[in-house]
Amino acid sequence: MSDHGFAFLDGDAKKEIRRALLKAVALPGYIVPFASREMPVARGWGTGGLQITLSIILEQDVLKVIDQGCDGSVNAINIRNFITSVTKVMTTSKTSRASIIQTRHRIPEHELRENQVLVFQVPYPEVLTTVEPDTAQQKQMHADGDYSKLWVLLYEDTSQYGDSRISNRYPVQVNNHFVMDPSPIPKYDIPRMDNCPALQLFGAGREKRMYAIPPYTTVKPLKFDDREFKIEVFPGVCCERCGARDVFFDEVRLGSDRRYFCSDTEFCDKNMEKNDAA
Amino acid sequence: MLLDVRNVSKIYGTSCDQCLSLTGVEHDRAICPECGSVVAVNSISLSARKNEILGIVGESGSGKSTLLQLIYQDIRASSGEIFFQGVTDKNGQPSNILHEPPSAVSRLRSKEMSMIYQNPRLGLNFLFSAGGNIAERIIGAGERRYDEIRSNALDYIRRIEMETSRIDDYPEEFSGGQQQRIQIAKALSSSPQLLLLDEPTTGLDVSVQAKILDLIKELQQDMGFSMIIVSHDLGVINHLTDITVVMKHGTLVEYGLTDQILEDPQHPYTQLLVSSIL
Amino acid sequence: MKKMKKRNMHAGPSLIRQSENRMKLDVQNIGKTFTLHNRNSVQVCGFSNVSFSVNRGEMLALTGPSGVGKSSILKAIYRTYLTNPGSILFHRTDGSVINLASCGESQVLNLRRREIGFVTQFLKVLPRITALQAVASPLVELGETEQTSSLQAAYLLDLLGIREELFHISPLTFSGGEQQRVNIARGVIAPKELLLLDEPTASLDEKSSDRVLELLMELKKKDIAMIGIFHDKGKIERVADKTYNVQREDSPVMTSSIQQEAA
Repeated sequence: MSDHGFAFLDGDAKKEIRRALLKAVALPGYIVPFASREMPVARGWGTGGLQITLSIILEQDVLKVIDQGCDGSVNAINIRNFITSVTKVMTTSKTSRASIIQTRHRIPEHELRENQVLVFQVPYPEVLTTVEPDTAQQKQMHADGDYSKLWVLLYEDTSQYGDSRISNRYPVQVNNHFVMDPSPIPKYDIPRMDNCPALQLFGAGREKRMYAIPPYTTVKPLKFDDREFKIEVFPGVCCERCGARDVFFDEVRLGSDRRYFCSDTEFCDKNMEKNDAA
Repeated sequence: MLLDVRNVSKIYGTSCDQCLSLTGVEHDRAICPECGSVVAVNSISLSARKNEILGIVGESGSGKSTLLQLIYQDIRASSGEIFFQGVTDKNGQPSNILHEPPSAVSRLRSKEMSMIYQNPRLGLNFLFSAGGNIAERIIGAGERRYDEIRSNALDYIRRIEMETSRIDDYPEEFSGGQQQRIQIAKALSSSPQLLLLDEPTTGLDVSVQAKILDLIKELQQDMGFSMIIVSHDLGVINHLTDITVVMKHGTLVEYGLTDQILEDPQHPYTQLLVSSIL
Repeated sequence: MKKMKKRNMHAGPSLIRQSENRMKLDVQNIGKTFTLHNRNSVQVCGFSNVSFSVNRGEMLALTGPSGVGKSSILKAIYRTYLTNPGSILFHRTDGSVINLASCGESQVLNLRRREIGFVTQFLKVLPRITALQAVASPLVELGETEQTSSLQAAYLLDLLGIREELFHISPLTFSGGEQQRVNIARGVIAPKELLLLDEPTASLDEKSSDRVLELLMELKKKDIAMIGIFHDKGKIERVADKTYNVQREDSPVMTSSIQQEAA
């Protein structure tokens, strides 16, 4: 097998993960179990995303790894270094040039295109855990499309606080059937999952679960017909570094001072280049 | 015919072909002497029409609650047929709900049939507010507009004669009688055609019990749903029902108009029951 | 009330049928035996060999000594008691005939809702309902507005001598006689085609009792068939068209027609 020795995982492990991926893609939003392997990283540190990336990556792929939008954070660098050490693939920070983007907690600002794969690291794959602890019952609810308990959470937030209090991991309905946890991305990123040209894969190594959203699939946040889905807005704020507006910002507090920077560092860099050229 | 139950049985244990014929009131046992299986419900047939109120009476262990759970599909019958108005096969013929796919059964349970349990913890979700519990059923019946859900929930809080200001309080903040009221509001909020009540007032003190029974009767007259009430209390049966079914050892002992059962009981067991309670 | 109006609009053809067959209830040879299984299966005879018939607009009075089974016969017609043998044929306005002794429970319930009424000596209403509501409810159930029904109920209660300050109190707190009058008002406000009356005047004073009898006379004019039990002869003579003397023995006979009215 040509796979042998490439990308850390053995051939059988890759085969098993790819099979699970095929099933996940065939049933958008459906949670598929897989035999999560021991990785040289502790579980809970991106092992789900890592295993998916390693099982689909080819020599010609170009890899980008981000953590909360940042290519330079310690975790992103370590994962990127590990993958290149076992594959020798090219890496990039440019979203447009990458063929596989492994991410934690963000979707890059730059629009994704066809033939790109976005691999999410997922801590809690089962969206129903908060309302139904019984796993057998959860499966039944998914099968029946019975998400009324999630709707009740939304109802209670709306009646007691005026709107949903969920800031990240906002439940989304995929392909008008399964409701899934989009991983801890901000609400800002939710509309960008809808009808996305790229393939979106989700891996939870500790929980041994994965799921997927095929390209161009309907993804809708759970919301009442007579209520708006509100994403985070930063009125009057622009990035201190590149001057961008209407993007997702990191808030940095220095004493009583609040300062804002683009959360997506690559987007910020690119913007700076554009500014310099102009 | 709203509900038509034909020859329904529930056997716990290995079961043999003698189970049904060797148990029941005429054999004075519910345990099969051949194989030791427990015959909880033995070949029961009964039906309920629109607007009818049925009572099932019998001593502890007579199988009355099990029968109710078989109808509500909380547990699955070992044999028999159950038909419900509107559940048809593709030729429009009535279809046995025991052979319907889980999605059809689930719809039946979330919209057309409601159950009120003796223990409010079975009927209410204690993690949700009173309004949230009611909302869960309204949402389950297909409503996705917040304002509609909220105003309906408020309306049902009013109908159970409770302060609307308490809508966002949680079940443990209510008394037992109030919890039972909330259960009633929740059960009725999907405008079901059939309400099943399992000892709805057992364990409540007498004055609260009377008020709850009155409330149930008033709501039934208002809304016109059918009811099946399981009770060991002939007073409750007399107060609420039109038709009474007497059960013992899983079999149907006697079936008749409630006033006839109470004033002119035919079967020796019914005579004993009536004479010992009145 | 609404229902009556509708029927009058189609008076033509139905009148013809009515003139052909005035029969409302035909009781044929019914008997009732109670078997007390828990008392060595003792058999107690309630009544036997009872046969009579009642036409529309007619009042039949059941007579006979106390304990002879008069109330039991009313209960048998209402299906509170199961009878064996015999048949109880109820003639519906549409010409069909139902055997009350053997038809299904649901059918009995339907008839009780619309066509057969029973005024007992005991009032059975929800404790939280006022006298006015209790009396108005049969009319409301037929689809009449609350307001019209309440007016009609107030009229009847007043006619039966219930003081107005009692209208908004639960009738279960009333005296026996008052409860009975409430019960009669309930029975006649939306009169069913066949009315069973078990001692409707038993605990009433002379004046109230007169008013009840007048009400019953009016019902006859509305073509209501009635079977009643009265405790004194004078009342029977005033209101009944015929009597049926219930006897303990095997062959009770239809005694006499007291007065042959227009029918």
